[in-house]
Amino acid sequence: MSAAACADARRDQEEAAPTTLVVSQGGDPGALNPAVTTSGNTHPVTDQIFNGLVGLDEQLNPIPELAERWDVENDGATYRFHLRGDVRWHDGEPFTSADVKFTFDEALLKYHSRTRAALEGLLTRVETPDAHTVVMHLARPYGPLLQRLDVVEASIIPKHQYAGHDLLSGEPTRRPIGTGPFRFVSYTPGDRLTLERNPDYFRQGLPGVDRLVFRILPNPVTAVAALENGEVDYIGSVPGPDVARLRASPAIAVVPSTGGSGGSVCQDVLIPNVTRPPFDRLPVRRAFAHALDRRFIVERVYFNQGRPATGPISHLLAWAYTPDVRQYPHDVSEAGRLLDQAGLPLGAGGERFGITFTHASNHQRLGQVLREQLKAVGIRLELEVLDFNAQVEKVFVKKSFDLGLASFCNGADPDIGVRRVYVSSNIGPFPFSNGAGYRNPRIDALFEEAASVVNRDERRERYVAIQRLLAEESPYFWLIDSEGLRAHRRAFTGFRLWTGAFAETVRRAPPTTDE
Amino acid sequence: MTREVTVTRWALGRLLVALPVVLGVTTLTFVLIHVAPGDPIYLLAGDGGSPAYYAEMRAKYGLDRPLVEQFVRYVHAVATGDLGYSFMFQSPVLRLLLDHAAASLLLGFAALVLGSAVGFGAAVLCVVTQSRGLDALVRGAATVAYAAPVFWTGQIFILIAAVKLGWLPVGGMSSARETLVGVEWMVDVARHLLLPAVTLALPLAAVVARVSLASLIEGLRETHVRATYARGLSRARVIGRHVIPNALVPVTALVGQHAADIVAGAALTEALFGWPGVGYLVLHGSLHRDYPLVTAAFILISTSVVMFNALSDAAIAWLDPRIRLR
Repeated sequence: MSAAACADARRDQEEAAPTTLVVSQGGDPGALNPAVTTSGNTHPVTDQIFNGLVGLDEQLNPIPELAERWDVENDGATYRFHLRGDVRWHDGEPFTSADVKFTFDEALLKYHSRTRAALEGLLTRVETPDAHTVVMHLARPYGPLLQRLDVVEASIIPKHQYAGHDLLSGEPTRRPIGTGPFRFVSYTPGDRLTLERNPDYFRQGLPGVDRLVFRILPNPVTAVAALENGEVDYIGSVPGPDVARLRASPAIAVVPSTGGSGGSVCQDVLIPNVTRPPFDRLPVRRAFAHALDRRFIVERVYFNQGRPATGPISHLLAWAYTPDVRQYPHDVSEAGRLLDQAGLPLGAGGERFGITFTHASNHQRLGQVLREQLKAVGIRLELEVLDFNAQVEKVFVKKSFDLGLASFCNGADPDIGVRRVYVSSNIGPFPFSNGAGYRNPRIDALFEEAASVVNRDERRERYVAIQRLLAEESPYFWLIDSEGLRAHRRAFTGFRLWTGAFAETVRRAPPTTDE
Repeated sequence: MTREVTVTRWALGRLLVALPVVLGVTTLTFVLIHVAPGDPIYLLAGDGGSPAYYAEMRAKYGLDRPLVEQFVRYVHAVATGDLGYSFMFQSPVLRLLLDHAAASLLLGFAALVLGSAVGFGAAVLCVVTQSRGLDALVRGAATVAYAAPVFWTGQIFILIAAVKLGWLPVGGMSSARETLVGVEWMVDVARHLLLPAVTLALPLAAVVARVSLASLIEGLRETHVRATYARGLSRARVIGRHVIPNALVPVTALVGQHAADIVAGAALTEALFGWPGVGYLVLHGSLHRDYPLVTAAFILISTSVVMFNALSDAAIAWLDPRIRLR
């Protein structure tokens, strides 16, 4: 009997027992307060325990969650939320507008790095006219507010639990009380975290499994093996070399995903330091862009987990995206011509100049491919491999680099994840800022306009203009619009892979499938 | 002087030697992890924040103080029994280390016993059978086992024993799907223990086999051993009585040296198998620049190195009457 068949037989015996979904998790979440952190190890867990005011549908449009409806008033400078009246915290206390106000005033605007950066100075006042109404007053009209209010960007936490406690490490962060589909049971650092079904969840009939266990498996190879072996049911990322083997397994489904707790709609982007030679000159950047064979990189480095990027906004953010911008097809002779014109001719030994690529150890394969592709146009690429943390510091904080790399997640709206990379007010020095050091007042103004109108068609016009201008200037080299793969055992179905609360709708698959 | 007094004096001496060692390791770890590139604040506070926000958070964690001040504060806290607060786990370091020590000790001792027994057993078997083929096999296997990195052998074991054959679980210390108690739980833990323990034991078994073989063969050539042959004792008796006890001395020293490494430093094996031990904490603490956690873990590890060395010295003194504790 094969391993898969063994696991299936084991599963059949458990049919009568409570259903347990086991999820592999790469690292420890630590404190379990989602309103004070953006951590990719905390949110996959807490997004199952908590809710946002709004949810996001598959196209990343806002849908009702803790707020059952809302009115946009005052041309988009005031948002009035009508909360559900039937929601209770896991300890039985009713959920009210006071919880929302507390969460924004005490947690999100103080500690949640992304939400604070976006709303500080913009969200001037949160009012609670009654127990089930919340009014947010903004300093100016702001279109993308709703996209910022899902469970990932703005989980709502209970005031009665947290008031008087340290929000970062106090007692409530160890035994989180939420409103979400699952209740916290226990957490053993380095081992596992166990949740159970919330029988009083406000969405009737959900969730579909009785227990949800996060098994901490730091090594991706082990996580894949545990999935194949049936010890875990779901893994949030699939290493490229394992994709084909998992696809061939009848018990396992490999599915593309564009979002979730770790960040949604991501692009891998090469970051040139445009504040110093050689990337301070446009012809050099254009030549460099022509030297890259993105198709090859997407196939051989990313194992087709995505599509070659055409510009600063991912094609997955369909309403804002346009492919109608200056393109840089792989063209060695054009790259050579541009560099000759720029006064960087081929020297002795077929070399024009050398630069250093600072990157994390998990991108070594990309480094090697880039080195070969650039050699063809006479650019020598030195590879500087550091651990993730050190590399981020060198590129974004110390800014002592020629060429870096980051995965920038666009989020549910370009204002969330795209703007920060290009506006001159966000040059840092801190991680995932405008690492290139690019400054263009026209771009700054366009992003400002795009955020302050509410109508989506009008916003699209601004984003199209932004994409055209940035493609002309090429301040970054956009490699791939990522479509990360996830994998789950076919014994379960109903994963919502575009949102943080991926497990809410999971249920055991009907026995008619090939399992 | 009575034996008790000698032992007490010896133990006190060892403790006095241990203090500067542990202090030195603490200083070195503290300095190294702080000068290494990478800033914990971004992992603590998240990405995309404003400079003012990061400044506030630095102050909150005391990371805005000069390094010397941070160090003095730290040593003072450690001296009063406070090992600090882990950034990553938002939890007292001491509690974390204690919570994870049991898993590490279980894995470490299982690997230690397995590695020593297999290594020494293989060597004894070679000497007793005097088979050239077996000797070549043991030496060859030992070379390969010693050279192979644990993250590679571990992955091979996972692929064969867990994925292909489905005999053993891949990772963790107990099953995540069901909650077991009593004997069933013990069996479950033992099943989870087997692969990481074998992986960790393999390099030790290799060294032990080679050292044991060398000392057993040397022992057989000793004049007093030849004399016992001459007196007509059987080969098995000679080896059992006169060769093995002498060969145990260098082997014990060797196992003692490796014990601390194995119990406290099995980071790669623990991370590979998702084993919730101290090694996993150290590995993740280093990657996340969790200064308090990593520094405290190294204090623990250096202390256990000193302790295991002392224990192996004591064991050697007990085995070899010529050596006395001083």
